Amino acid sequence: MAKTRSYWTLGLGAVLLVVIIPLAIFWPKSAQAKDNPWDSVPRHVTHTDHKDIVQGGFVTGQEVTRACLTCHPDASKEMMVTTHFTWQSAPFDVPWREEPVTIGKANQINNFCIGTQGNEKRCMTCHVGYGWAESDFDFNNPENVDCLACHADTATYAKGEYGNPALGTDLLAAAQSVRAPTRDNCGKCHFDGGGGNGVKHGDLDESLYFPAENLDVHMGKLDFVCTDCHRTENHVVKGRMVADNYTIDPTEQVACTDCHIETPHEDARLNLHTDAVACQTCHIPAIALKDPTKTTWDWSTAGQDIGDDHYTYLKIKGSFTYERNYQPEYLWFNGNLEYRYLLGDKMDPMKPTYINIPAGSINDPNAKIFPFKLHIAKQPYDTVNNYLLQPRTAGEDGFWTNFDWPSALALGAQDTGMEFSGEYGFAETWMYWPTTHMVQPAENALQCDACHSDNGRLDWEALGYPGDPIEWGGR
Amino acid sequence: MKTSIKFLLLGTITLTLAFGIGAVLARSNNLPAAVASPIHPTFALLDADGIHVLESQKPISTMQTCGQCHDTEFIVSHSYHSDLGLSDYKEGSDSWDASNGLFGKFDPITNRYLSQKDDSRLDLTTPDWLMNFGWRVPGGGPAVYSRSGQPLMSLKPDAKNPEASTYDPESGKFKAWDWSKSGDIEMNCFLCHTANPNNKVRTEIIAKGEFGWANTATLLGSGVVLRTTTEWVYNDKAFAPNGELLPEYAQLQEPTNENCAACHGEIHEDPTTPLTLDACDPTQTQTATTGQVVSSQKISESGLNLSDKASLTYAWDIHAERALKCTDCHYSLNNPAHTQDKKAANPDHLTYDPRKLEIGEYLEKPNHNFARGASAQFTIAPELKGTMRRCESCHDEEAAHANWLPYTDRHMQVVACESCHIPKMAAPAYQTVDWTAIRLDGAGNTTCRGINGTSTITNLVTGYQPVLMQRTNVDGNTLIAPYNLVTSFFWTYEDENGAARPVRQADLEAAYLADGDYAADVLSTFDADADGQLSDAELVLDSESKQALIAGKLESLGLKNVHIYGQIQPYSINHNVVSGKYAVSECNACHDEDSRVTAPLTLADNSPLGVTPVFVEDSNVSFSGSIENMDGALVYQPVNRNDGTYVFGHDRISWIDWFGALAFIGTILGVGGHSTLRYLAARKRGRPEIAIKPVYMYEAYERFWHWLQTIVIIILLLTGLVIHRPDLFGAFSFRYMVTIHNTLAALLALNSLFSLFWHFVSGEIQQYIPHPYGFIDQAIAQAKYYMQGVFKHEPHPFNKTKDRKFNPLQKITYLGLLGVLFPLQGITGVLMWAVQRIPSISTFLGGLPVLAPIHTLLAWLFATFIVAHVYLTTIAGPKPLDAIQAMVTGWEDMEVHENSN
Repeated sequence: MAKTRSYWTLGLGAVLLVVIIPLAIFWPKSAQAKDNPWDSVPRHVTHTDHKDIVQGGFVTGQEVTRACLTCHPDASKEMMVTTHFTWQSAPFDVPWREEPVTIGKANQINNFCIGTQGNEKRCMTCHVGYGWAESDFDFNNPENVDCLACHADTATYAKGEYGNPALGTDLLAAAQSVRAPTRDNCGKCHFDGGGGNGVKHGDLDESLYFPAENLDVHMGKLDFVCTDCHRTENHVVKGRMVADNYTIDPTEQVACTDCHIETPHEDARLNLHTDAVACQTCHIPAIALKDPTKTTWDWSTAGQDIGDDHYTYLKIKGSFTYERNYQPEYLWFNGNLEYRYLLGDKMDPMKPTYINIPAGSINDPNAKIFPFKLHIAKQPYDTVNNYLLQPRTAGEDGFWTNFDWPSALALGAQDTGMEFSGEYGFAETWMYWPTTHMVQPAENALQCDACHSDNGRLDWEALGYPGDPIEWGGR
Repeated sequence: MKTSIKFLLLGTITLTLAFGIGAVLARSNNLPAAVASPIHPTFALLDADGIHVLESQKPISTMQTCGQCHDTEFIVSHSYHSDLGLSDYKEGSDSWDASNGLFGKFDPITNRYLSQKDDSRLDLTTPDWLMNFGWRVPGGGPAVYSRSGQPLMSLKPDAKNPEASTYDPESGKFKAWDWSKSGDIEMNCFLCHTANPNNKVRTEIIAKGEFGWANTATLLGSGVVLRTTTEWVYNDKAFAPNGELLPEYAQLQEPTNENCAACHGEIHEDPTTPLTLDACDPTQTQTATTGQVVSSQKISESGLNLSDKASLTYAWDIHAERALKCTDCHYSLNNPAHTQDKKAANPDHLTYDPRKLEIGEYLEKPNHNFARGASAQFTIAPELKGTMRRCESCHDEEAAHANWLPYTDRHMQVVACESCHIPKMAAPAYQTVDWTAIRLDGAGNTTCRGINGTSTITNLVTGYQPVLMQRTNVDGNTLIAPYNLVTSFFWTYEDENGAARPVRQADLEAAYLADGDYAADVLSTFDADADGQLSDAELVLDSESKQALIAGKLESLGLKNVHIYGQIQPYSINHNVVSGKYAVSECNACHDEDSRVTAPLTLADNSPLGVTPVFVEDSNVSFSGSIENMDGALVYQPVNRNDGTYVFGHDRISWIDWFGALAFIGTILGVGGHSTLRYLAARKRGRPEIAIKPVYMYEAYERFWHWLQTIVIIILLLTGLVIHRPDLFGAFSFRYMVTIHNTLAALLALNSLFSLFWHFVSGEIQQYIPHPYGFIDQAIAQAKYYMQGVFKHEPHPFNKTKDRKFNPLQKITYLGLLGVLFPLQGITGVLMWAVQRIPSISTFLGGLPVLAPIHTLLAWLFATFIVAHVYLTTIAGPKPLDAIQAMVTGWEDMEVHENSN
């Protein structure tokens, strides 16, 4: 019988093998298995409730930090090397300067509130530290790191002047509420950058606290929090804003391809686009979908008593325009800047001065067509020295107090270590902000005719094409 | 114009084209929506006498104006858009279709027809036809020439001549028409070659009969011409001192989609404005007849109240989405950028002839016949049928369907791409146009399919699934393609020649209406709910009394022998294509009991009593289905078998299945009975003591061959059953079953070939050959044994040895099975598979409709054989399982007979 059974199994095995092998060979290949983007999305762990852990009466923020450091001894050390704390990049070389330079909120200007130096009273509300009052701020004191800014429930904690806790804050309650950062923590500064909701980015504003499904596919429909994409290790948050950097190491940057494959479309024609077109270009047809974003800012009209209106004119800031459903500008972009205006750079007041120019061209294989918000401002410059000036605004005796340009600019020059001739004017400046949030799913992404039509949104010639690549061919 | 200047101009155009295109296209971003070609030279506007219009203040003559550079005579004579059937026009007493086109062919959707010379009851004279349909007439052809080729302008006013008279609604009579006063309509270049032609005013002017000004009116709003309340005035500021238009007024362009949309249907180019349309809008001809909408907009973003709209996140038409223009497919036939070589035009060894028209030559004589397909609007421009590129000219169907569609070639042979890639029409379309009863405004009773009601904003638009019908292409190939069927009902009468004619509108109104209301007798007969008004539901001739009343009234008008006629016109659907992602891709959509191939289409919700509409004869569509009457609603039920197609999983021949099932079940019953009797007999008699000795019966290869065959055949039968009846075995994937079936069939064939080789080489084949000597006696003995001896435990009449394994019955059975059934099954199977590779052979043998039923029948016989075969093995040895065990181990326990060997 044993012999029979071995015959059975051997024979059956042989026969089945002969049947199964050809079947396996001819089995229809189902569409190539797609990488699952969810594989790369971090799982949220339940954060330890600190309610019963944190104790004691806190009077200053530094005391809270001291308490945090007792259990998290490395936290401040980690934080103190990040730009969240230093507000300044590491030194690097640029072609138009002989000495290495640094860029950051600490020492350079933009074309919104212009610069922080001398204005620490207000600007440092968004600094993740305590008491950055003047240039003598101690960057090496671990207790100067503000843990609560990112970890406290924002219902219990707010920052005030010089980055210190707002007056009247119950620091114990705030300290007991700590947990992993939520959209609220990041949003406090990143949604309101530039002095108010949606001013700076356009793709980041307070509508993202409770985003509707169609506002952003990740945060709205899938309920992501910032740190799901801005992966954070040892307090180093992934993702860099190119406006405050010159070059960015791709490994430090958040990319769609962190979770999605390079060619995720079912449609081969669309996949062919990914070589030259960034995901954002089609999947972010417009920004400032719900709340408007500032698109122009004219400082030259500031100081008049003509009636304030949040969206058009403020005496302290001048006139602005806001736009909703802002259609981005499109440029080749390889992730770096070609130019960043540095204090002291000469400019031509007759032409728009670029605060930053995204790097990339049609001939740059690493560049893709990318959407940007363009913010156009008129801001003060020294008409003798032909460089941009940073006024003192929020600081003592600044423009916001006296509404006097000459003195505000003189104080600002002093704060920034510049020479001020005493003659000033207002020049047009352009600043580009990469657009990467408010992502739309395929159903709402741009269609062919958004670009490939008589009224398309891409200026092919400006991008370096002879004409619409449908007819003239791609790069 | 001097020839030298002409050449200079042409040269300039060519040069500018060569150098300018880049700049033009690149700059398109900054230019307004419809981009005129800035390279078109300026020109003077001339009247019909060649005099500058500023001087004569007469209508612009396009023939003269454009003819300064372009060969307008050539253009007009090479344009079906201009001809519209005039050149095909034949007076005929036996037909209401006097030509193949708009000019002369009766269209029951409008129910108006062009009156012929000797008609006693005139419907539309040529001027009336123009006033009614002029909006669809680009000019030239019948708007310039009489039916016999005379210039219309040369015709004398004559109330009796249907070419020079008009119906006077006040008197109810026809009166003379003065062509020299009205002017004619030359081919209207501006209508298609300017960015914003004023089609509204043009249409109004034509409807008023001011034909001569129609083309000039097209420029109203461009700044070239202005209109006071009474007359047209040219704007002298638009002209340069030399009489030519200033460049900004001389903006001409290649026709855009919007230009085509003026007459052909809904084309929506603006991505930011939601698309809206009226259901069955007669001015949107192709949208009204089919629901086709050409737009890059996602359907979900349109303004229609569509059912399940949120899920329709794809564009109305993928080609529009991918930025194709109408003219990319429907190009001028001598456009050197698009022109194709006709196969027959070149010698065999030449695939491409580079000797093409130069651009300058083309611009002088651009053929205005445009490439077209071979669709159901079949009679139109017959000589141009199939001039267009089809799907497969641009798409590689093998690559496009790689890795998922089995039998790609076969599907492409019989199924038009549109059948799967136009799964559904989102917009409504005509279903029925009933002219047997008219509404108060004189219009027929029109029903749209794909909408519950009439408004696409407030009513729910459901869209509809086109009916699939087989059409014959110009190359003779047949394909299943999607259609809308528009059914129309209208009254006909017999004219004095005894030929049937549609009852004209005037008579219809006379029968129904009186003093702006329905006639009293009509109202009393039709008004079922007695509300004093006739609703659309009441306006159906669904009773004898209604029909008798109207027939009587029409006859009292002098019409003889009135009848209701029903006609079904197919309208081909070729636009609104969707990409593969949204196309029909489920096998079961067609390969199942409920198949798209035979999905019915409603022809009419209500229809006149006793009238079965007939399909038009002049189409390339096969009306092989049946018309079912379901409580007054008429439904077209396709019957694909009538077209000679066999759809696996959908089609079957019932007697074969009955016969096969009976044989199968009968055998099981027979086996059951026989075994029961054996069991009873054994119990009664007890098991006899038989001497047994093991014999090596089957070589290893024989056993391998046998069991491989066993497994494969059983899987083939099971998968075949699923393919045959997916409605019963829906749990299995049709597609995988097909793959398994084909792969294992190939394996079985290989197995058989090897074993055949082995049997020949080893000589074992001899065992299968019946030896004539004593064969019949032995066979009878064997049969007797099965019927009697086996119950009595008689010894086997046949002594099985390794060299003589088979008894005579086995021999004959195996010979029949392996020699006839098996090869036949293999051959039919291979042929069915080969239908896609070598269609001619399979078609010669009757194609799938013959092969598939044979294959099915043989499969049943195989299944039956297996039952009998397995049972008979239990008889073969001393113990029931001996024979099966022998096939496993090779060793069989044999009874020892004294006289054996």
